[in-house]
Amino acid sequence: MLTLHTLRCAGSTTLARLAEIAGRPEPDVESELIDLAVAGLVTFEPGPFGGWGVTPAGRAAHAAWIAGELAAAGTRPAVAGALDRFLPLNAELLDLCEAWQLRPDTRVLTLLDDLDRRAEPVCADLAGALPRFGRYRERLAGALARVHAGETRYVTDDMASYHVIWFQLHEDLLLTLGIPR
Amino acid sequence: MRWVHPLTSGRPAELVGGKAHGLGVLTRLGLPVPPGFVVGADACRAYLRDGVPPSGLASEVRSALAGLAAAEVSVRSGASVSMPGMMTTVLGLPADPVEPVLDAVAEVFASWHTPRARTYRDLNGIPHDLGTAVTIQAMVYGDRDPRSGTGVAFTRDPTTGAPVPFGDVLFGRRGDAVVSGREPTVPLGGLAAREPRVWAELTRAMARVEEHYRDACYLEFTYESGDLWFLQVRPGRFTGAAAVVVAADLADAGVIDRTEALLRVAPGDLRRVARVTGPADVVARGLGACPGVATGRVATSAEAAVRMAAAGPVVLVRPETSPLDLRGMAAAAGIVTARGGLASHAAVVARAMGRPAVVGAAGLVVAAGAFGAGDRTIPEGATVTIDGTSGVVALGEPAVTASLADAHVHRLLGWADDVSGDASDRPEPERLSAAQAVLRQ
Repeated sequence: MLTLHTLRCAGSTTLARLAEIAGRPEPDVESELIDLAVAGLVTFEPGPFGGWGVTPAGRAAHAAWIAGELAAAGTRPAVAGALDRFLPLNAELLDLCEAWQLRPDTRVLTLLDDLDRRAEPVCADLAGALPRFGRYRERLAGALARVHAGETRYVTDDMASYHVIWFQLHEDLLLTLGIPR
Repeated sequence: MRWVHPLTSGRPAELVGGKAHGLGVLTRLGLPVPPGFVVGADACRAYLRDGVPPSGLASEVRSALAGLAAAEVSVRSGASVSMPGMMTTVLGLPADPVEPVLDAVAEVFASWHTPRARTYRDLNGIPHDLGTAVTIQAMVYGDRDPRSGTGVAFTRDPTTGAPVPFGDVLFGRRGDAVVSGREPTVPLGGLAAREPRVWAELTRAMARVEEHYRDACYLEFTYESGDLWFLQVRPGRFTGAAAVVVAADLADAGVIDRTEALLRVAPGDLRRVARVTGPADVVARGLGACPGVATGRVATSAEAAVRMAAAGPVVLVRPETSPLDLRGMAAAAGIVTARGGLASHAAVVARAMGRPAVVGAAGLVVAAGAFGAGDRTIPEGATVTIDGTSGVVALGEPAVTASLADAHVHRLLGWADDVSGDASDRPEPERLSAAQAVLRQ
């Protein structure tokens, strides 16, 4: 089910990217995708913008699973509290992304480092509430490390950029709490 | 009074903030402004230093409120530099008892130090110890009756620079409804037929403020039962082609001299960007989030965008975007969202992908297989054109050009060459930069 959830948060994507997002070997993820496809929950579309995607049946199954997961964990207050702390950070991150796109300079990166430090305890609390959230911390740190290594497209301009990972975390929080966009 | 000042005090914007300073200008120009007063930024600095409002502030606010004789007031932040949407505003607060008003003032002070506001100041080089002033005014009600409304207006078109009033109005609504972008507005010109007297006063005021600021201006207004009130004014700060057109027009009219015209335009304003020109069947307007023009068939889901993109360009129209839309955005030639601002996930992704985009197209309702705009329904597959500069969403394929202001650019750069003494054939931004270097010596 974790693979279905990852796909639901990331949107339609390739096997390689899905494995990278989940931090798991491609063959493992692929065999789960095939099982999910047999169950009618995911589907593969060919073509330049194609990839693995969730079917309507998959969305329904996912919604039921994710509600059950949170109820079983008994950590809804912790996740809801994390969303409350996430939203102001989200507005700030989007300000930073806009500023970076208009004028990419080191001042923005310094501020991004600072924001990332403040996001860390929120991510840690989320991982404490539901361990699967732990992966976001690793991925955000990874994107930031690439930015500092000079690969500045990992701020906003890559499908594995800091902003895209953050966007998926935002979606994950809303899905987990069952809040419609 | 130590901390509280009348709107007409004439004190500098550093003390009373840009908003109150503008309201003072409007009042001195004889334009209607709801009665009010301003708590200076020095009181905010004292609050931030000591953690409590300075002594004497409460009694000064109390007596100033008594002088207003208003049932309800608005309490708005306003620093000497623009920090849009970063700080607190409280509307419709009863003026009696005074305690909630004092609490609102403290709340505005405290909002100076939210992390987002701090980051915004760091990004824009604004000192952290400036503090914000707080403007308190009698409420005026754009939702009072059918002869009430609210709007925002530029004295000239902010995307073309053409000398025609431009803006949005919302009939029977308060100002926060316009700024939030949640409700569909109508173009400002709609006011002319509906409230001719308000329209006449508004256009007269536009001429007055332009004369004062010697620049295109931005105004916020409310009219209540047919009476017009101004809530804000500032210079328009146009960019791109509009900056060039306004600077050249004002110099031609003798309002500013050529030196000032040359200094008002940034070399980046001369960049060529495709734009919709001429008559267009506009179905919605939002914020231009990524410049450029895209024409394509409407797709209302990422799946449809991917499917339809195989047969030609598509424009993806979404309520807002989630990661599920990323591949649809990649497949699309252009992107429209009903909600969100220039710093939204959709806007960031559109710019990252280089897709022309319009965000926050208020009143646009996306359903499966169609979108609604006003009383019209645009089905999936219909051809639309979007302008990521002006925020226009139009049906069909209106005329598009990348050289909107050729005559103005030519004129301005002629003056630039006169200043630099170099008429050789060079890229346009270089010609302007050379003149500015001479003028700034």
